[in-house]
Amino acid sequence: MRINVRFAGAGGQGVILSSVLLAKAYGLGEDYNISQTQSYGPEARGGACKAEVVISDENIDYMKVDQADVFIAFNQMGYDKYIGTVKKDAMVLINSTLVDADDPAYYRVPATQIAEEMGKPFVVNMVMLGALTKLMPKLHYPTVEEEIMQNFAASIAGMNLVAYGRGYQEMEIELEQRGE
Amino acid sequence: MVFPSAGEKRFDMELNASDPKKVVLQGNEACAKGALYAGCRFFAGYPITPSTEIIELMSSEMQKAGGAFIQMEDEIGSACAIIGARWGGKKAMTATSGPGYTLMQEAIGYAAVTETPIVIVNVQRGGPSTGQPTLSSQEDVYQARYGSHGDYGIIVLSPSSVQEMYDFTVRAFELSEQFRTPVILLSDEVVGHMREKITIHDGSKNIKSGTQKFVVSPHADFFQGENSLVEGQLHDEWGRRIGHVAEQSGRFIQNINKKIQDNADRIADIRTYCMEDADIAIVAYGSVARPAANAVKLARGIRDERILPKLKVFRDLVKRGVPATMHTDYSHLKVGLVKINSLWPFPEEELKRSTQNTELIIVPEMNVGKYCREVERVLKDKKVISMPKSGGDIHTPHEILDEILKEAGVNE
Repeated sequence: MRINVRFAGAGGQGVILSSVLLAKAYGLGEDYNISQTQSYGPEARGGACKAEVVISDENIDYMKVDQADVFIAFNQMGYDKYIGTVKKDAMVLINSTLVDADDPAYYRVPATQIAEEMGKPFVVNMVMLGALTKLMPKLHYPTVEEEIMQNFAASIAGMNLVAYGRGYQEMEIELEQRGE
Repeated sequence: MVFPSAGEKRFDMELNASDPKKVVLQGNEACAKGALYAGCRFFAGYPITPSTEIIELMSSEMQKAGGAFIQMEDEIGSACAIIGARWGGKKAMTATSGPGYTLMQEAIGYAAVTETPIVIVNVQRGGPSTGQPTLSSQEDVYQARYGSHGDYGIIVLSPSSVQEMYDFTVRAFELSEQFRTPVILLSDEVVGHMREKITIHDGSKNIKSGTQKFVVSPHADFFQGENSLVEGQLHDEWGRRIGHVAEQSGRFIQNINKKIQDNADRIADIRTYCMEDADIAIVAYGSVARPAANAVKLARGIRDERILPKLKVFRDLVKRGVPATMHTDYSHLKVGLVKINSLWPFPEEELKRSTQNTELIIVPEMNVGKYCREVERVLKDKKVISMPKSGGDIHTPHEILDEILKEAGVNE
């Protein structure tokens, strides 16, 4: 099994961090092979940002993603830029606050809205990660939770875990509504 | 990626090692961890993308390991500082990228002439000049060999995974001590910034100086009771200047070149994949070896890229008859990969041996086709195709496959 995951968004949205946590959760928690790569411009915030994770139960040769099986769009720019490079049967998850796309097959989570409601706009990536965790095969809630706790200082781990949980629940509800 | 070995050269990672543990690390972090495991206790550097994470981790970890870290004023100072540290008895390393590596060239020649064992990491980015700070290249493959003026021998290793970034850093320290020479770890942005799950060791490995028999004597550290003289001008075995004596100078130059060239077979590290029956070989190194390995699979119709539909969405799509992944079978194409881990000295004999039954060689690399010239020089009787790529993106497996199909005369 090999899953090619691509994240796209803007620098500063936490795109790369969410990909790293997904990779660590699969690599350490679920014991798969992983390769995580990224590309970004010289600027720290605002530029286009892309991160890729390959998950496999075999050795990973090509470490980048050609055609994505799973595509996560954090903003419109990222969606527009990379939607053409996903497989026909890919799973697409969008941040519906910022991405305007009406394909009924897409999974949506209003991540920016949820993060702003929490008063912590920077946890948008954790909301997206929560929703993604619900959707991904062979990935369990506590595995990702563990990586979030490892990554943040105790003082800010809490709010990130809350945001992660919100995203997960949001997707649970959506899947129920869709009857999946 | 596991490549079966072509020869018998295996890294000896067992000495003094505690239980290995699995971690997810970035290539650059793995390099710093590998250096500490190899006994590196002095690091001097100046931060530069895409190598900065090595310096960052060293700044926090070196003190815990009982060593010293200095952020220098520039890369010239960094390279000179590690030479001095090694004279003082500490294994030493610096890390940089293209622009900084250019500044280090004089010191590399100095380390070669004074036979000082040092390790320099170059995480390549696109050049020339400031170039492309955040994108990858393999453009420094000649500079790593011939960057400093004069004739000297040098060893260059090229990792293509995070595990290799760790292992080859340890190997670089071993080789630098064994042959008393600078060793360059020539990585690139893709490998430096990639994260993978690897096995690392705690503690420290005991690497001794000058252990290759009859090649070099051990490095005489300062303050150990012996008189030491280091000299950048050509010198005799007592350290006396002989730059004005042609015959002795010629012998000195011969020595610092031959100690490496004559041991090229011992240093050579080549891995092969699907080469047993291959008549087309891809010769690749560094990050490009990985899409090349994937291209071999595509060419031979080895399928591993199918998604097992676990989610309902995947299941529904399968029910509706959408194939998970389309594959074309070219299994009649006997393609293999030769991955070169030790770029310099050029592994002539090993390369000849591993490609002896092939007729067509394809050399993909992220530069204008530099290393290919060496391959052409050694494999004169074969058709060697250069597959250069500039701009910062690594070759994709399908680009390499297309080249194979074109050269093999297969119409899609």
